[in-house]
Amino acid sequence: MTVAVEPQADDLVLSVREVKKHYPIREGALQRVVGHVRAVDGVSFDIRRGETVGLVGESGCGKTTLGRVIAALADPTDGGVHYNMDGMMSRIDRLEGKAARTFRRNCQMVFQDSFASLNPRHLVIDLVGRPLKVYNEAVSADLVERVVELLEQVGLGRQHLYRYPHQFSGGQRQRISIARALALNPEIIVLDEPTSALDVSVQAQILNLLNDLQEERNLAYLFITHDLSVVRHMADRLVVMYLGKVAEAGETQAIFDSPHHPYTRELMSAKPDLEADANVEVRGLEGNVPDPARPPRGCRFHTRCELATPACGWEVDDVVRWLEDAPGMFEHLVGVERKTDFAATLAFDSEEAAGLLSMAVRSEQVPEAMRTAMRRLSLDGDKVEIEFEEVGEIESTVRGDGRVAACVLMPEEVASWKNM
Amino acid sequence: MTDVPHSRVDAEGMTADTAFRVRMRRLFGVLQGLASNPATVIGLVIIALMLAMAIFAPWILEPNSPDPYQMPRDWGAVRKPPGTPGHLLGTTNEGGDVLYGVIWGSRTSLQLSLMVVGSTMIVGTIIGSVAGLVGGWVDEVLMRIVDVFLSIPELIFALAIAAVLGPSFGNIIFALAVVLWVKYARIMRAQVLQIKQNDYVDAARVIGDSRVNIYLRDILPNAVTPVTVQATLDMGNVVLIGATLSFIGLSEAGIAEWGVLVSEGQAGIASGRWWASTFPGLMIFLWALSFNLVGDGLRDALDPRTEGR
Repeated sequence: MTVAVEPQADDLVLSVREVKKHYPIREGALQRVVGHVRAVDGVSFDIRRGETVGLVGESGCGKTTLGRVIAALADPTDGGVHYNMDGMMSRIDRLEGKAARTFRRNCQMVFQDSFASLNPRHLVIDLVGRPLKVYNEAVSADLVERVVELLEQVGLGRQHLYRYPHQFSGGQRQRISIARALALNPEIIVLDEPTSALDVSVQAQILNLLNDLQEERNLAYLFITHDLSVVRHMADRLVVMYLGKVAEAGETQAIFDSPHHPYTRELMSAKPDLEADANVEVRGLEGNVPDPARPPRGCRFHTRCELATPACGWEVDDVVRWLEDAPGMFEHLVGVERKTDFAATLAFDSEEAAGLLSMAVRSEQVPEAMRTAMRRLSLDGDKVEIEFEEVGEIESTVRGDGRVAACVLMPEEVASWKNM
Repeated sequence: MTDVPHSRVDAEGMTADTAFRVRMRRLFGVLQGLASNPATVIGLVIIALMLAMAIFAPWILEPNSPDPYQMPRDWGAVRKPPGTPGHLLGTTNEGGDVLYGVIWGSRTSLQLSLMVVGSTMIVGTIIGSVAGLVGGWVDEVLMRIVDVFLSIPELIFALAIAAVLGPSFGNIIFALAVVLWVKYARIMRAQVLQIKQNDYVDAARVIGDSRVNIYLRDILPNAVTPVTVQATLDMGNVVLIGATLSFIGLSEAGIAEWGVLVSEGQAGIASGRWWASTFPGLMIFLWALSFNLVGDGLRDALDPRTEGR
């Protein structure tokens, strides 16, 4: 996967390349690995100097995990995050010694929970002064002055130096976290849902503060959030994630104007609009996010996509999932014998149940796209043999203007759907 | 949010001294929490009296020579009841002064509890921290060892060790230390595992602070509360178990120790000579009770759900 406009190297701060982060699932007394949760499954994008990249998606899509990998709090399973060190792109998990410290200083993070991210036993001066102490940048009186300077930049002051985190409001605590992140004068700050836990009015203040600081210091932000209105306000570019993969990426305005991926569309329509008619029901996403340990084949969104086509990767699991939801059907299923993810024999406890299923999957009860994708369906006593078209991973494709999207549909087809 | 009034923390003239004052105020808050619980206050008063007794023992009663921890024997005054001149709490079958045993026994008990609790706390904290921080098979091996220790009842285990080593008070201390460290290891491991999940540990990593610093500044200070509470409770329990072992004859006969004294006096109870066992028994009871009261009070006062919020 490539990014459309190959940016100038000196313009880059970070380059995320095919990053994967899989967590092993262990079972039993011997802790045998029985599978992997694919929290992040091959994500690429760049962050340039002074820009804000918004990373959005539902909870559980891997955006926080990716943020942790970028801040070097977790090592990627595969792929890597490359940091621009004096024009040389180097993988951050391979940095050592002085280079590792240089990266550490230049990539800071602000966490969602302002209370949990500040040690409750430390005073503000300890919290904000700590990075300066770690790098021997200031001591005693000088340290106090530097901390006061930082506090003033985030709208706090000298009077707050000797207080504990619990003596502040949520917004003030987040300001302390931001001051701490600024202390080492970093190039980039990973903001992991920094305003999600705050009141709307306080949220706006923090966002404005972040904007001002970015302008003053030419900071780059990776803004992780599930809140599209925040990201619209903050981000220059967007990366929309779904189940560990990038659904769509590009300029924020362009994506808001015309989303190229049905998932992005759904996310936007799920947001209640103040100006919209209160009687119009907000359309949201239906169904649950599939298990990231067994992500759907083809396009990962096809199980919930209203625009799904036969080419989106329909598979045996979709039939099983449909059976789970169909009343009185699932208990008759006694076994699934898979040849591949796309072909299997379903065994039922009665011929009647098998017959019901083979009728149902031929009828309107299942999406038309699924029916079309079905290559074979044969009923043999109490067994049903099903085979779907084999479909590979739907790769991200470049759509011009620096946009990428992972969807088999053309942008016009996605766009026309909004008028349906 | 409860804000500190601005007048209390003035903008001018703030130095490191201010940080010290703020920290002291926090400590004072914990003490206030302790003081607001009557049971804790009673426990503290009893502990203070016992400590005073232990410290000032040589001034209260002249030490027996050559070894002050041996009971003085007055063979001319055997089985005297309380109130006898020169033997305020009476004497034992062997002419031991019960008052001497009670007062010098507090020194023995203090020695026992400080040595056992001190050593087990340090060893347990180190082992628990290593298990929690390193994880993996190191954790697995250490915790299975801990399980083995925990599967044997404390008293029986300590008894077995002390019996093998032979009757001596020093061996009781050693046996208790061998048995009791596992509690601290478990508490500490659980704390470390929980605390290292906290965002403030990640925040320290993002800053680039060293592992040692993160342990010393973030993990350890936030883990000490339950360890402190357990140590306080154990200060009392250890004396209880130690006295039990002494009672059944696992320390040297004739030393000034409450358990030994109870054992020496028990033969006379049936004949109505209640005093030789009752007074040292009462001391064991008060010692264990007071530390348990304070331990419970400390748990409430240091509760992270109420502290400082």
